[in-house]
Amino acid sequence: MIQVQNLSKSFQNIQAVNDISFTIKKGEIFGFLGPNGAGKSTTLNMMSTILKSDAGSIHINGKNSNESAKECKHLIGVVPQEISLYEDLSAYKNLLFWGNLYGIPSIILKERIHTTLELIGLLDRKNDLIKTYSGGMKRRINIAAALLHNPKVLFMDEPTVGIDPQSRNHIFEVIETLNKQGMTIVYTTHYMEEVERLCDRIAIIDSGKIIAQGTQSQLKELVQTKESILFEFSFLSENNVNQLRTLLPYTMTQNKNELLVEITVQELSAVITACNELQLSIKDIQLNKINLEAIFLNLTGKQLRD
Amino acid sequence: MILTVLKKDLKLFFSDKKGVLVTFLLPIIMITLFAFAFGGVAKKKSAPKPLGVLVVDKDSTTTSQELITKLNAMQTIRLIASEEGKALDLVRKGKNVAALIFEKGFSDAVATDTDLPIELKYDAARDLQMRIVHTVLKEGFKHHLGKADVINNVKLKTTSLIKESSTKAHPGLVQAVGGTAIMMLLFSIAAIGGGLLDEKEAGTLKRLLIAPVKPLDILLAKMGTAMVVSILQLTTMFVFAWLAFGLPIFMDIFSLILLIVCISFAVSSFGVLLVSTVKTRQQLQGMSTIIIILMSGIGGSMIPISMMPAFMQNLAVVSVNYWGIEGFFDIFWRQLPLLTILPKMGILLAIGLGMTLVSTILFKRNIIAID
Repeated sequence: MIQVQNLSKSFQNIQAVNDISFTIKKGEIFGFLGPNGAGKSTTLNMMSTILKSDAGSIHINGKNSNESAKECKHLIGVVPQEISLYEDLSAYKNLLFWGNLYGIPSIILKERIHTTLELIGLLDRKNDLIKTYSGGMKRRINIAAALLHNPKVLFMDEPTVGIDPQSRNHIFEVIETLNKQGMTIVYTTHYMEEVERLCDRIAIIDSGKIIAQGTQSQLKELVQTKESILFEFSFLSENNVNQLRTLLPYTMTQNKNELLVEITVQELSAVITACNELQLSIKDIQLNKINLEAIFLNLTGKQLRD
Repeated sequence: MILTVLKKDLKLFFSDKKGVLVTFLLPIIMITLFAFAFGGVAKKKSAPKPLGVLVVDKDSTTTSQELITKLNAMQTIRLIASEEGKALDLVRKGKNVAALIFEKGFSDAVATDTDLPIELKYDAARDLQMRIVHTVLKEGFKHHLGKADVINNVKLKTTSLIKESSTKAHPGLVQAVGGTAIMMLLFSIAAIGGGLLDEKEAGTLKRLLIAPVKPLDILLAKMGTAMVVSILQLTTMFVFAWLAFGLPIFMDIFSLILLIVCISFAVSSFGVLLVSTVKTRQQLQGMSTIIIILMSGIGGSMIPISMMPAFMQNLAVVSVNYWGIEGFFDIFWRQLPLLTILPKMGILLAIGLGMTLVSTILFKRNIIAID
């Protein structure tokens, strides 16, 4: 559905996007994960045809975004990071305005507004002014405005910024419904939980470069670190650790009374049995899962929310 | 404690460039404008530009010609030889303050010491300048002919070419309504133009650009909005002036409507130009206040153009205010036919077109640039 080849963009002396390439398949949810300033929004702006690239190309459904910008605009729906709505107009009038810009015939547009408001769960509030809405409701209308022309691809730039968990879940459900209906979704965020929940494939972007891309399991394979379990003991001597090493084949790292053992949850019982044999008193057990946060840290040496 | 708070407040005040600009620069501009208008700033060596008075010498004798030469040597007025028809037309159109006509038999009257056949025909809308011309001529005749009484005793006929009548507006009212209406319109339109910056800040402009809408269409739509509001605002102001002060707006309603449309176009273009040159609402507020005051000052919205020194009168032609106010005078005071007012309307349209063209370039560079 989308092919991006060697895309680059700089602003004065800042290289915002640096020679990135990726492909997004039809019907998948593709996540762009990276910290603020990584180049996610710049990439999305170029894909949205409102920002010209310095180099490289973007093809949406086979059409070059520079040469066929107008056709591409009809193929894509964009949910900007900002609440891009008129606060003094009702939700219905906002949607009517944005829909009209795509030349949708009046009767069809009214039907689409109805179904879209139903989808986002705000049909009963359609005549209320946007300024009377909560942050989460505004975000939902922000999404609705991008759906009226039935785009094939939906670009969502951090669509859950600054909203409560309930509204966030509602938005996730909307995204999942749209995806089930066959819509391709490109989702940028710096929240790894969102990407983990929603995305089929992920590109991790930092300082304008894609440092890794693939499915979650493919990304996990990229890093050396395995899942680990952290044990906290009442007392743990160096001798105790040596004794454990003779009993267990796992990699262990001691830090005072803590012991980090690189195992999966399935192997947990073996460690507990060994500890019982050595009469070591376990105070606490903590599972350190390999997640995107850990992958990002491993690949860049930085936290996602640095 | 007081000093700490005071220091903080001063620091904040001076960090607000717009505030500082409005606080210091705006009064300086106003003082300069009024000082030039009311005089008192001319240096000793630089005499004011003389007032151009047309002179028609029908007598064409040595006496009349000698007198014209002597009068012309005076610093305050400059006599310009002309034909009677042309001279009267120029005065009627507001180009010159008055026409001095020497009738046949002038030299005989001087020789026989009888009433001098001289007539001064003037534009009453330029009352202040007329008084200066009147005083200067009085002195001139006294000095060169020994006839101080020619004007005092109404032996020099003074006739206003454009007379006040029940169907005509008083020039003061035309100045007040026209000048104020255009100045207030400039402020309103600058505020409407600012809406574009609000859209940029809110993100709706970005969404407009994402939609299949040409950037130029967005600019033209904003200009169209400004133009509709301008037409409504000017119409409201003139209807009010008709109801409250009896301004005869139906005297030449077609010309008035056309002029309102032309002014609205020029002012709307000014609004979009202004908004295209800045990047934030704050920048717009500071800049628009100064530019509008300056433009209204030199353009005659605050002080009648005729009261201003020559260089300011020359500067006035760059402002929308000047052409608009002159147009209103042509309609309400000089009662000129539409054909004669059309060039002024054309200039307003040309100013508007020029500003629109510049706006389109700046709009792409400053407003729709995404980063």
